[in-house]
Amino acid sequence: MYKIASKKELAPDIKLIEVYAKQIARKAKPGNFIILRVDDKGERIPITLAGCDINKGTISIAFHEVGKTTIKLGSLNRGDHVMNVVGPLGNATKIGKYGRVLCVGGGVMVAPLCFQAVALRDAGNELITVIGARTEEQVILRKEMKKISSELFIVTDDNSEGYSNLDFLKDLLTTTKIDYAMVMGPLVLMKEVTELTRPYNIKTMVNLNPIMVDGTGMCGACRVTIGGETKFTCTDGPEFDGHLVDFEELEVRRRMYVPKEKIAVLFYRIFGENI
Amino acid sequence: MNKSREELRIGVFICRCGNNIGGVIDVPKIVEYAKTQPNVVHTEENPYTCSSEGLSKIKEAIVKHNLNRVVVASCTPRTHEPLFRATCEEAGLNRYLFEMANIREHCSWAHMHEPEKATESAKEIVRIAIAKVRFLEPLEEPKIEITPSTLIIGAGISGLTAALSLSEQGFNVYILEKEAEAGGLLRKLHTLFPSGQDALDFIESIIEIIKVRGNINLLTSTVLKEVKGYLGNFEIIALQNNQREVRFKVGTIIVSTGALPLEPTGLYGYGEFDNIMTQLEFEQLLKNGLEEKVEKVVMIQCVGAREEKGITYCSRICCKVALKNALCIKELNSNIDVYILYRDLEAYGREYVDYYQKAQEQGIKFIRYRQEKPPNIIKDSDRKLKVGVFSPIIGKGIDIICDLVVLSTPLIHHQAGRDLSQILKVTLGSSGFFQEVHPKLRPVDFASEGIFLCGTAHGPKDIEESMAQALAAASKASIPMAKGIVKTEAVKAVVDKELCVGCGACVAVCPYNAIDWLSFGQPRIIEANCMGCGLCAAECPMGAMQLKHYQDNQLVPMINTLFESEKASVLKDEPSIVCFACRWCAYAAADTAGVMRLQYPCSIRIILVPCSGRVDAIHILTAFSRDADGVMVAGCLKDGCHYIDGNIKAERRVNAMKKALEVVGIEGDRVEMFFLSAGMPDKFVESVINFTDMINKLPRMRRTVRKERDLNV
Repeated sequence: MYKIASKKELAPDIKLIEVYAKQIARKAKPGNFIILRVDDKGERIPITLAGCDINKGTISIAFHEVGKTTIKLGSLNRGDHVMNVVGPLGNATKIGKYGRVLCVGGGVMVAPLCFQAVALRDAGNELITVIGARTEEQVILRKEMKKISSELFIVTDDNSEGYSNLDFLKDLLTTTKIDYAMVMGPLVLMKEVTELTRPYNIKTMVNLNPIMVDGTGMCGACRVTIGGETKFTCTDGPEFDGHLVDFEELEVRRRMYVPKEKIAVLFYRIFGENI
Repeated sequence: MNKSREELRIGVFICRCGNNIGGVIDVPKIVEYAKTQPNVVHTEENPYTCSSEGLSKIKEAIVKHNLNRVVVASCTPRTHEPLFRATCEEAGLNRYLFEMANIREHCSWAHMHEPEKATESAKEIVRIAIAKVRFLEPLEEPKIEITPSTLIIGAGISGLTAALSLSEQGFNVYILEKEAEAGGLLRKLHTLFPSGQDALDFIESIIEIIKVRGNINLLTSTVLKEVKGYLGNFEIIALQNNQREVRFKVGTIIVSTGALPLEPTGLYGYGEFDNIMTQLEFEQLLKNGLEEKVEKVVMIQCVGAREEKGITYCSRICCKVALKNALCIKELNSNIDVYILYRDLEAYGREYVDYYQKAQEQGIKFIRYRQEKPPNIIKDSDRKLKVGVFSPIIGKGIDIICDLVVLSTPLIHHQAGRDLSQILKVTLGSSGFFQEVHPKLRPVDFASEGIFLCGTAHGPKDIEESMAQALAAASKASIPMAKGIVKTEAVKAVVDKELCVGCGACVAVCPYNAIDWLSFGQPRIIEANCMGCGLCAAECPMGAMQLKHYQDNQLVPMINTLFESEKASVLKDEPSIVCFACRWCAYAAADTAGVMRLQYPCSIRIILVPCSGRVDAIHILTAFSRDADGVMVAGCLKDGCHYIDGNIKAERRVNAMKKALEVVGIEGDRVEMFFLSAGMPDKFVESVINFTDMINKLPRMRRTVRKERDLNV
């Protein structure tokens, strides 16, 4: 059992929790992920780390309550326990001195992006950051990102804050030299940004989030096609060169269980824990 | 739950429809019952609500009683809803604040011999309608400006005919033809039946006119690559000569891509002997005249058509083609013997019976064969063929030594039709031809607004029929263009930003590319592209995507209300089955079943949905979490969905639901998917009877499900 050390609401339905997991905290690096189960009946969900504290022996994860498991996880409070946590899994993000780095984050994924961005800044990079969400109230970690970036842009799909789309990036890319880019967020965002950077040949890393089962390379559920080759997100990723990713395939594979998830959420709402 | 703040004032009008309803159902009882329903402030009984007197009573009542919702309990909304909606509008009430309860087709006509049960069923049907009307919201129909030009795909006789008609009406026309020349299949024919006119002369005379028309742009060697936009504003991208991109804008589209004859490879020795050929190849031969030594010709009908599997249909034209070509032979040389081996001779209509008689007078011999005993062909001496056929009439075999065998093969669909159906987002039928919305009510329309079809792309037909259909398509296409501005359907998808999590499931499931996926996951509905099927609403895992007029908070109360009050004692023996019926097929089939007075048990309550694909877990589970003994989801035939494949998606959901129900101890058999067409009232009735029987074998659902929490929609 892993105890929850703290819980914070970053936005409605978006929560950040710290969990005591000493062994994991000791080894965790930005870009790693963990898999957790809320209880003995729960499914295993992979979540990218949003931070760790070796001294306290805690790891941080942010999640958006969208499915049955995240809704359950969100109902837990400080002092409650989650059944188990396994990690750190996957490869840590490559932190180098690239020069000027474009960091783009969407929705809840701004939290793990922040963890990686801090490491990039500490390695001597200058950061230009774009964060956004569907609407203003779901934009998270504005202050934290602002602190580490030379410039911060905010984008919301509904135009409630900052820019209403990514068109301004086109101008930015023509006027400013960018050496490296990193995108974390919804598939549609990763796809769009990689298309924007492609003409400029800017190495653009994306953090993929396919359906995953064991997280250790055994099942193959998280397979993705990178430059025509099959890779496992858990053991080969989760970070990949965005210009090589087959996003269409990933989209189709990710939606495989949508009807079942809908039923699961509905049953959970009606019958609660009893099934 | 209800968003409108004003006090609800519902008026309920119950129609006797003469004896049609009043003769079975105790109408005054229904009126008394409606009065007991919440928010009902006015009820009345009319001999005929749809008569001018009935309509003015609705208008009077709206004004006098300040009604803000109206329910008419009468016949099917598929015919009379527009009339009643217009009436509401005339009295100042938004037309979408109206609901119909179908107590005629689905009740009085379906349960004619059980007046008591029918009366109690009618109460439930009225109650369902009142439950829904309470949650309806006023809707506005978006106005669209129409570009006055048409794209016609395919320059065969149908496409050219439609083009001429539209051009004469003053609209611009673009014709795309994938071949280097216009004219289609007609170019390859010798003469036309029944006139005997030269085919090439005929088609070229039409092409000549097309070429000189200033407002027709004929683009040959051009294929359609992409279509964006919607009725009134389609953006077309075509590719000419496989290299040059052509872009233009049109308001409407007509599909007239035609068909092609089946090549009967492997049938009757085709390809083995060069004196066995198809009718089309024979036409070429006739053009050049037959060789001197030809003495006998045998034609075989229904080659590869009307089979048990594969091509099951009759190609309509082959019998007439055979008659024509047989007469052509006789004209060239009356000494040549011609045999037509047929299964059934389809020479119907005004001129063709005479045509058949003429052929008989000319000495053409007709020999019938049976499907299970088809003719066989073997090589005889000296380039001759021996055709053996068993005649069921004389009861023995006949051998014919002949010089030529001509095979009549059916018209089949173009392989490229599938790609085109994807580009245009229109429906293909099971035989691979394009499919209209309704064979009688909308025979040249696709479900996608502004796209029409004609000619053999729709199925085999002769030139006369193709041209008539082309004129119909042109006329339908001209309606919005003549108006300039049209109102479109107000039933569109709508997304609740608060509930949406940006997963994009709606974007992927939409058959019409009507949902944009913005950078951070927000879906945005392109209203003009939305056809109102509701697939996105059913797919959305959060209930954030909804279909106006069929929202969860409108459908769920309908289901709930069924189980809120005690069942009438006469209905106690009947199980409670909720049937979600697609408006294009199952609902229509139920209507027709009523018209035909087919009787079925009072067990089912039909809830109208735009597509079976709108039905999702929440609706099915609502029914079971209350008291329902069974749920039917009824959609179109597998290849016949009006929204491409909504029915297939519905089936997938029903199957997922079956498994999930087992987990909570409800038999998965209690929910079932049905596939039928509007023309299958008997199958609808059979399905209801069988499903009711099956449910009757299971124990009744009496709160076997723990109702710990009510559904929160």
